[in-house]
Amino acid sequence: MTAELPPGLAIQKVDERIMTLNVGPQHPGSGHMRIIVQIDGDYIVACDPDPGYVHRGEEKMAEYRNYITNIPHLERPVIHDSCNVLYPYVLGVEELLGIEVPERAKYVRVICSELNRCIYTMYWLAIYGIFLGHSTMFMWPAGDRELLIDLMEKISGARVTHAHFVPGGVRNDLPPNFEEVCLRQVNYFEKRIKEYAAVFYDNPILISRTQDTGVLSREDAIRLGTTGSVLRASGVDYDLRQKEPYDVYEELDVHSNVMKEGDSYARSKVPWLDMMESCNIIRQALQKMPKSGSVRVKLKPNPKGKGLDSVYKRVESGRGSLGCHIVSDGKVEPYRLKMSVGSFRNLIALPYLLKGEKLGNMPSVYWSLNYWPVEADR
Amino acid sequence: MTNTATGIIRALNSGIKHIATKRFTLRYPEEKLKFVGDGYQFDPSTGVGIAGLKGRHMLFHDHCTGCQLCSIACEGVAEAIAMVKVPEEQKQNKKSIMPQIDYGKCVFCGLCVDACPFYALYMTNDYELSSFSKEGLIYTPAQLAVKPYVEQDSEIVITKYGATHG
Repeated sequence: MTAELPPGLAIQKVDERIMTLNVGPQHPGSGHMRIIVQIDGDYIVACDPDPGYVHRGEEKMAEYRNYITNIPHLERPVIHDSCNVLYPYVLGVEELLGIEVPERAKYVRVICSELNRCIYTMYWLAIYGIFLGHSTMFMWPAGDRELLIDLMEKISGARVTHAHFVPGGVRNDLPPNFEEVCLRQVNYFEKRIKEYAAVFYDNPILISRTQDTGVLSREDAIRLGTTGSVLRASGVDYDLRQKEPYDVYEELDVHSNVMKEGDSYARSKVPWLDMMESCNIIRQALQKMPKSGSVRVKLKPNPKGKGLDSVYKRVESGRGSLGCHIVSDGKVEPYRLKMSVGSFRNLIALPYLLKGEKLGNMPSVYWSLNYWPVEADR
Repeated sequence: MTNTATGIIRALNSGIKHIATKRFTLRYPEEKLKFVGDGYQFDPSTGVGIAGLKGRHMLFHDHCTGCQLCSIACEGVAEAIAMVKVPEEQKQNKKSIMPQIDYGKCVFCGLCVDACPFYALYMTNDYELSSFSKEGLIYTPAQLAVKPYVEQDSEIVITKYGATHG
């Protein structure tokens, strides 16, 4: 028997103590992926994550569509975070085509991007709650998300998959009277998420289940190449909105939340703190935004790149750094398009974190990595 | 131990407080959400859209020239738009062809509206498009010309006792 078979298919030696267990891929607490764990009693000996079940070929599809018709399908990997998924692509195409974006459009993009980050994180938090058997923490975020989904619906006309960002700005201006409604709902949202502390984050049962499980040290976090909240929960202060500001983030006061513990509890708390920071950014952006002006540059019907050219742009999404590499050969379609996604980079840490853990801790450690299966598979 | 006890009491207390707060759930078929504007529209003279819900399309027969730009815009996206012959004769529409939209395929991105240079295609607030057959989802130019009536009565209201749909 050669060792060329994919993971899980190779015939393994039967051991008296070690049992192999497939978690997934039919979604009961794993997402659309499989985690192959080998357990000795209640303890995990080895773990092999097996993603790829929801591969859609987004990158290849992008080579057959022009720069505008790529927009609706490129936001499908993470429909809750669709503005952030599209952000690096749009920034890249703008650089390829040499478009200057109006100031107001940049602020509208920042507001949409922060609203989407909160919408994604609330969904993620709801799933995290139900993974730990805390059904209140499923209901509350799922309900409070609605406040922000309502705002995104007012801006873009769709509850998910907004298709709002285009090369050259955004599709439409903010609706009349939006600033007031946005401020009211975001303030209430912030008040609501602060209430989660008593019921969830300061809850002794949650703390006893998640503290000191799946500890990722600062050195390992850097060595394994994790990003986003996972990296920040391990004590590395790295937020792309601060370190490599894009659009108008350098004019806004962005504070990044860092925790030193690197355990499952810290990884679940950092996104929650980030949501409060997002509320701050939205308030700042609403204040500093030019009150009038264009939000979209008029483009030619089929925009083309200027000869052989390539561009790489990255932004901070809900799951960490999200990059997009576009190669243009001067035609209406991109020659190549590749995405570097935070989910996949965070998944690499999973086998290291689960070794020696109890099987009951697997869901909390796995979901605290801020992993979104569809995004990782593209 | 005392820490654990107070923590659990705090958590329970926070939950109990919610008995007095208002219910946030939107009771959908009885209540319907209010939207801004009259649906997503596009102004080709400035190249910027007008905010609104991206729902079912509305086609103005007296503006449509049969230029197929909406159909071309949909080509790489959903391929939901087909150009079909219409019996009526409009003086700006020499070929007498107009878009027919298959809502089984449409992804409601609104790029067809952005493509129309003659103010002929808009989107409306109508989102209740379910049908018992696949054919029922295909809207002919005559069906698209009808302006839908959409009930809208409920909006998010934030009160002292929490947010609610009022």
